[in-house]
Amino acid sequence: MLCLRNVEYSQNGRRILRSINMTFRDGISYSILGPNGAGKSTIARILMGELKPTSGQVLLDGEDITDLSITERAKLGISMAWQEPARYEGVTVRDYLTLGGKLKVGEDEIKEVLELVGLPYELYAHRFVDKNLSGGERKRIELASLLLLRPRYAILDEPDSGLDITAGKLIEVILDRFRKCGTTVILITHHEGIALKTDFAYFVCGGRIIRKGLSREVVEYYKNRRCSFAEG
Amino acid sequence: MAIKVDLTREYEALVEAYQREGLDTSLFGDRIAAIIISGDKIIGLNNVPGVEIKGEEIENGVRAEVRIADNVKLPFPIHLCTGYLKSEGYQRVIFDINVGRNSKVKFTSHCIFPYAKDFTHEAITRIKIGEGSSVLYNDEHVHGEGVRMVSKTEAEVGKNARYTGKFTLTKHRAKELKLEMVARLGERAVLELETKVKAVKDDSVEIKEVAYLEGAHSRANLRSTAIAFDRARVNVINEAYGFGDYAKGHVECHEIVKGDADVQTVPLLRVKNDKAELTHEASIGRINEAQLIQLMAKGLTEDEAAELIIKGLLGEW
Repeated sequence: MLCLRNVEYSQNGRRILRSINMTFRDGISYSILGPNGAGKSTIARILMGELKPTSGQVLLDGEDITDLSITERAKLGISMAWQEPARYEGVTVRDYLTLGGKLKVGEDEIKEVLELVGLPYELYAHRFVDKNLSGGERKRIELASLLLLRPRYAILDEPDSGLDITAGKLIEVILDRFRKCGTTVILITHHEGIALKTDFAYFVCGGRIIRKGLSREVVEYYKNRRCSFAEG
Repeated sequence: MAIKVDLTREYEALVEAYQREGLDTSLFGDRIAAIIISGDKIIGLNNVPGVEIKGEEIENGVRAEVRIADNVKLPFPIHLCTGYLKSEGYQRVIFDINVGRNSKVKFTSHCIFPYAKDFTHEAITRIKIGEGSSVLYNDEHVHGEGVRMVSKTEAEVGKNARYTGKFTLTKHRAKELKLEMVARLGERAVLELETKVKAVKDDSVEIKEVAYLEGAHSRANLRSTAIAFDRARVNVINEAYGFGDYAKGHVECHEIVKGDADVQTVPLLRVKNDKAELTHEASIGRINEAQLIQLMAKGLTEDEAAELIIKGLLGEW
């Protein structure tokens, strides 16, 4: 179980997150829903260890992992797909997916995950993960990378942004696949339609948790009562 | 391939060096036009239809002339192998390459100095490419710890011709490297230069690439990537001159620095024609944080992530 306990985060004297308490249980899919600037990505980055909370704790199975590095958390099974995946000049999709050969997977598995995210293996495996890929293609490769990694927790920051109209269907396929391999998804989104695809949701606004519960209930609340706090 | 009998051992030693470095030994085959130089001796020479290579041994080195006839399309590259198997000394090689019209050729140039401790290699290459021809020149180096290398290439790229020059020195010490490439482009000529160098310890690297876009609609793309570790010094100068109508040039330099290395890049763009267009792009500094973090989130350490990124930049995947 992955938890945030009383997490606060401030930057340049500005409070970005206030008293965030979240619990992510194995086997359930979660979304963190809220408008732009609500603090959703900050929560994701704190979970991954890119940012350290100003106060509060990140707990994994009751152990405090707040001071663990990104790599240490990844080795414990927490991984993340960023909203803006980086580009890597001269690194092929295949090398990227296998982390330069460090991830021991078969060619058939690479093919399977690429095709699952809508990228034909023959057309993409040997392309470079550089600026010649569109934002949508890069995003799909990032999702394929996490599918191949099979982490215990997959944090997906705005996985549908930059994707075409097939995004909703793709997210369903991804969630289904993660569910089957036992990965708990934490999905960051501002689209209620995407949040509805998960089991449980947190509605975040102005750095606070406004509502939590079953996704359909939280989405209903989100639709009727937009965030009234100042953004951020 | 004609091999001088008394130099068979040297020839075999060079082939062994190729095998050790994982280089393509089939380039020594009879179907390949080649000149094999060791020190100041020509130890192998082979011509194929459409390609005439003549060599002459000069003081401390070799001068070679390579002539490609018109309308030659070679299925295999022309192999220019320059070796030096002793640890100390000086070597000078001069290549005059003349490519006729409407030909398409590739050169694979290997400079093999695996045991060099105190060795100076000087290379002068002049390439003249006739109308409508296309030349790819791939320059790969195997260096020991102590090579001082001074290389100057002058290329004249004719009307509708294309020259692609690739220089790579990433797996071995650069030590002291001065690399200069100057190209003049005719009407609708195309130039592509790609240089990748890794400098470590106290290596000193100077790269200068110059494109004179003289012809109308000529195009040039100069790309340099340098990785500097430890106390290495790297200076990259990219110059492009837009003289012809609608000439278009782009210079790009990316340098990654780690440790106490000292790197600089100087782009110089000059236009003397209001229809010409030149652009440049440069980045210099440590490895991009987002690239590192996103790989670390998949379980790589910072060093492993940096290695993957650098290998990509240097084209080693």
